[in-house]
Amino acid sequence: MKIAAEGVGWQVGGTTIVDGVTFDVSPGEMFGLVGPNGSGKSTLLKMLAGIRPPSAGRIALADAPLETLSRRRIAQTVAFVEQFADTVDRITVRDAVELGRTPWLSALAPWSARDEAAVSDALASVDMTRFAARSWHTLSGGERQRVHIARALAQHPAILVLDEPTNHLDIHHQLSILTLIRRLRVTTIVALHDLNQAMNCDRVGIMDQGRLVAVGTPHEVLTADRIEATFAIRTTICIDPSDGTRLLRFHNAT
Amino acid sequence: MNKAWHWGWIAPPVLLVALVAGASIGETAIPAQTVLSVLANKLFGTAIPVDRIDAGIIWNYRLSRALIAACCGAGLALSGVVLQALLRNALADPYLLGISAGASTGAVAVTVAGLGGGLVSLSAGAFVGACAAFVLVVALAQAAGGGTGARAAGVIILAGIAGSQLFNALTAFVIAKSANAEQARGIMFWLLGNLSGVRWPDAWLAVPAAVLALTVCVLHIRALDAFTFGSDSAASLGIAVRRCQAVLIGVTALVTAVMVSLVGSIGFVGLVIPHAMRFLVGVRHGRLIPASALAGAVFLIASDIISRIVIPGQVLPIGVITALIGAPAFALILVRGRSGR
Repeated sequence: MKIAAEGVGWQVGGTTIVDGVTFDVSPGEMFGLVGPNGSGKSTLLKMLAGIRPPSAGRIALADAPLETLSRRRIAQTVAFVEQFADTVDRITVRDAVELGRTPWLSALAPWSARDEAAVSDALASVDMTRFAARSWHTLSGGERQRVHIARALAQHPAILVLDEPTNHLDIHHQLSILTLIRRLRVTTIVALHDLNQAMNCDRVGIMDQGRLVAVGTPHEVLTADRIEATFAIRTTICIDPSDGTRLLRFHNAT
Repeated sequence: MNKAWHWGWIAPPVLLVALVAGASIGETAIPAQTVLSVLANKLFGTAIPVDRIDAGIIWNYRLSRALIAACCGAGLALSGVVLQALLRNALADPYLLGISAGASTGAVAVTVAGLGGGLVSLSAGAFVGACAAFVLVVALAQAAGGGTGARAAGVIILAGIAGSQLFNALTAFVIAKSANAEQARGIMFWLLGNLSGVRWPDAWLAVPAAVLALTVCVLHIRALDAFTFGSDSAASLGIAVRRCQAVLIGVTALVTAVMVSLVGSIGFVGLVIPHAMRFLVGVRHGRLIPASALAGAVFLIASDIISRIVIPGQVLPIGVITALIGAPAFALILVRGRSGR
């Protein structure tokens, strides 16, 4: 499903966090969002997921303005994985993933075998099936992140919004999660802090001080000049001799 | 997930046994058979011969009292579940939002300061006070900006603390200024919870309030579950967070205000029953809601029985009993819950 933002902004207490962001993501596309800490990525993602109404501009899901859709309808379309989400409740892994079925359940559509299957599939796709009965509090940070992603997948979204999903993961699970996300036939918007991971996205947007300063394919926008302007580091672009992939190597700008 | 219906079978018989026990046990013990006979005579129009004095004690005094205790226990426990779930705070209890402080101010304004010129009952005064305090706390939380997620919950809790302190200070002021020793003692007893004065007309407030709390909670089982990872996560799962919070907090505040104005601020039930039930039946609200309502009801009936019989010829404030039995019982559950993990 297509998602579009037009002049989207967010202000709190006179401080502008996100300023006039306009872009759209096509159906099935994987869109990477990169930028320094505090550049407004998380806030933008929350607005795209419909959790925060923008203070300026508008967002549309498949040409329907977000504000005309019910919270439930949005959640049936967009799933969101937060950067940090923890709980003190003594829930199991399966309980946490079952929450993903919430937007699909109602008095007329109670829990069914279909929901059961969605939860099992979601657990399997993040390689957490054997953890299903484990208590949330016994999980490592990376395992928790995988459960959150499973919860989002159980939501059966057409659009997946992820805020730095590979943050707490070891390198094996970073790669497997990103591969998983790429393989899903859904539109994905993902904030990433590893620019080399962003190289694998279909398109990349660079956020700087609340503005979207560049949008395009990774090769177009993740250039040495652009990275230096936004992140204040020098970059060498290397070619992996095994498959010709471009890699970024970073140096201090001094 | 879908075990909630079991409670439909378990709860009524357990509750009936507790109510019969509440009507049967007391300074004069009355056999359960007599209690059931009186119930049958009153409810189903049978004509089983029963001693008239026993019948009077059971129907006019003990049954209404046990029923109101059950309603208060259920209502307070449900309020505790809701506030702990929405505010993501283990220490949240039904009185967090200034309701008991406001009720006490309203009560002393009527009984000690003589507001209303004798035309307003203590209960009415307490109810108005409770509502006033809640409205003030909500207004304060709104004015403080609210925000989203954990910050919003923090703002509500702080507003509740500020409101409670203000109304507690007002209560203390009125007592210090105008109350004599006898009045002060009476107020203290009322604040610790007192079921002695309740009769059938009070039940016609308590029963609908408890039913309202249970109905609203059952309708929001999935929404309450969705708050497991905070309000942003609930929103991303399709919960209309603001509306849901307003309905749930508003209803539980109203129910708590009704209960407090009838029987005073009985502590411990609303804080600890939800935690105890989380240990016993888990954190999913499909089980937690019915379990907490039932446990709160039974616990308060039991506490009332004990408060009437523990010292012959004297009724202890029920709040003393709830804490005296509840604290060790909760400690036991905590310890066992830990070893069972």
